[in-house]
Amino acid sequence: MNNEQKVDVKALQKQMQRRVRRRNNIDAWILMLPMVLILYLFVWRPTVLGGVWSFFDMKAYTVDEFCGFDNFRKVITHTQFLPMLWNTVQYVFWSLIIGFLPPLFIAIMINEIIHFKGGFRVLIYIPAVIPGIAAMLMWYFIYYPDQTGLLNMLLGKLGMDPYTWLNDPNFAIIGIVIFMTWKGFAGTMLLYYASLQGVSVELYEAALIDGAGPFKRLWHVTRPAIEGLLLLNLVRQIIGVFQTMEQPLAMTGGGPNGASTTLSYQLYQYGFNSGGKSTGQAMALGVIIFMILIVFTIFYFWLNKKVESRY
Amino acid sequence: MKAKKIISFILAISMIAIALSGCNNKANDKDEQGRTVFSISGYPTKEGTSKESFDRKVTKFNEENTDAVVVPDVWNFELKTFYAKAAGNQLPNVFDTRYTEVAQCIDSGYVADITDALKNRGYEGKFNPAVLDIVTKDGKIYGFPYDAALQGLAINTELFEKAGLMEADGTPKQPKDWNELAEFAVKIKEATGKAGFVFPTSDNVGGWIFTCLAWSFGVDFMEQGEDGKWKAIFNSPEAAEALSFIKDLKWKYDVLPANALINYDEYMKAYATGNAAMMIIDTAVVNNVSKYGMTPEQIGMMPIPAGPKGRVSLVAGSPYMFTAESTDDQIDAGLRYLEMSYNYNATNNFKEQKERSIQIALEENRLVGLKKFSVWDKDTESVKFESELIEKNQNANPNHVRLYNEFIENPDIEIRPEEPVCAQELYALLDGCIQEVLTNKDADCATLLDKAVSDFQSNYLDNLSY
Repeated sequence: MNNEQKVDVKALQKQMQRRVRRRNNIDAWILMLPMVLILYLFVWRPTVLGGVWSFFDMKAYTVDEFCGFDNFRKVITHTQFLPMLWNTVQYVFWSLIIGFLPPLFIAIMINEIIHFKGGFRVLIYIPAVIPGIAAMLMWYFIYYPDQTGLLNMLLGKLGMDPYTWLNDPNFAIIGIVIFMTWKGFAGTMLLYYASLQGVSVELYEAALIDGAGPFKRLWHVTRPAIEGLLLLNLVRQIIGVFQTMEQPLAMTGGGPNGASTTLSYQLYQYGFNSGGKSTGQAMALGVIIFMILIVFTIFYFWLNKKVESRY
Repeated sequence: MKAKKIISFILAISMIAIALSGCNNKANDKDEQGRTVFSISGYPTKEGTSKESFDRKVTKFNEENTDAVVVPDVWNFELKTFYAKAAGNQLPNVFDTRYTEVAQCIDSGYVADITDALKNRGYEGKFNPAVLDIVTKDGKIYGFPYDAALQGLAINTELFEKAGLMEADGTPKQPKDWNELAEFAVKIKEATGKAGFVFPTSDNVGGWIFTCLAWSFGVDFMEQGEDGKWKAIFNSPEAAEALSFIKDLKWKYDVLPANALINYDEYMKAYATGNAAMMIIDTAVVNNVSKYGMTPEQIGMMPIPAGPKGRVSLVAGSPYMFTAESTDDQIDAGLRYLEMSYNYNATNNFKEQKERSIQIALEENRLVGLKKFSVWDKDTESVKFESELIEKNQNANPNHVRLYNEFIENPDIEIRPEEPVCAQELYALLDGCIQEVLTNKDADCATLLDKAVSDFQSNYLDNLSY
């Protein structure tokens, strides 16, 4: 009798547990449902369909018939494909030269500041909260090539002739990268700053006692603490800048004569400004960019794992 | 077990998503009372005179046509949203577009052939052939042209005055050809310090305007072989001459604004804010520069200057088109609705609509005074009525628009439609050439055009799928 009761209790317990788990499961799914739906509709479905449709002839936005690699052939044999790829690489290159280290320096500087630290942090973060298009237009006028441009006004005060800025094919990409750095460095700076805050003060004190100067302290104490983050940001920046599109769209229209056009900008042109004739090519180019970036992304995840395991 | 749950969950979501994506609001073409329901684009979102006027027109149509109901739709034509809405069956049945986009709309297969519907409503022989050509492909008519304007030369009369380029009676002087235009521009720059002329260079607008200029130099952009294939041929000496003219405006005459990346907005702004004295544009657009503070008194309009091969202009403007899914009844009802405002007969409805639209233009301080290039055959009743109405209500200085109005009465000019295939892609390439000659003093026009021709041929003409 006792035994039977025991069995019953166990069974009941199990049943209860199962019910609770099921309810938890249902609750969890209900909570996740809106997010999953949004992800499905706006990320997973378009990504997969874009990949599939890149092998189809598209009549405007309607799928026509299977065409194999024809869209890819058209994209790769487009006479501007290689120049655009080269432009994109130049964006990445200049963004690393111009934009990679400043956030770190500023983070270190803020970390060292004793008074008004919070104030500086807010002031420096301001560019990041200005709406994107407004900031682009602002810089468009900063770079404006006649005497009404801000930079040319400064040159004028110094008695120099106005410069053409974004109208100069050799400067257009650099100009846009300077803007992107100004707009985007604050977020990265905060990451570095947070990580710098985590460095134990005792380590600095010990280094001081050992007679290390500021640069030695930077190299031997600060660097090891943040180099993982630095590497991760490097890869993230490459991935991010490789997809530059809206800046040339708003600031130069891809010009002069295609000098600031990127692959993503061309994708946009294929997709929305080709009169529906190149929708298939837009998706093929999307796949190509995806393939290039997936290499960096895999490297990023591998690196991320390594970095995380260090802390 | 867990995997099974996940799979069933994903399946459920997929079904919901498919159901969602399959939804569309394509209205059934009949309501419960058997009336034909159709929608029309361009319903103003802002409260005001335009919206009230739209509402009044809708109510009147629904009252007068007991068999049809019009539903206003706030969508305004834009190519970027057009395809997505068309593919999702979300377009209004009747929508307003622009001639420059017509070829792309037709090629996409999303618009209806309305040849028979027009014939049934007695439109045969009523339209101006130069305009009807634009909305016709392979003998089929795809649009209802309602507004047309010839590209001409818009001028800022204040800057002309300062440069001494006015006749004694207050009529601005007309540059006869492109060289004279450059001379005028130099005089204006010397007298006022402002750019004498502005030329667009990006977002395909530069190429669009350039084709017009190039035609007057005798340029042919493409030709179709006997096998039906298209060949790009604009690397000719004439094209190089036309491009050199643009280059000279910058480097020889120095009469252009400093910025060499000028899209449509910048183009309008340069002229409307008085930073440039002359621009090539169609009359319909000049009516809309008041948003930059330009007053009707400051606007002057004249015919486009001639090139070595004569004077050539392009018809700009707008047609209404119908979606491919529209039923015959919807197309017929849609045409009846359009006839209220656009008609070859000066019906009471037409007169009322025109009077109201001129009142709105006057209230908004838009230019009234330029005669229209008619979409109808010359001697139609409605054209005469509209011309008289414009003359009676004009806020333009008659002297400032005289040259254009005299010209439009009897245009001794070659009128061309846009290039037949890949026009937008051609414009984009020409934009690039123009930007290059304006930013690089040593650019060689012939070499640039050779490259543009080879790019155009291999990227677009050799890949034509429809």
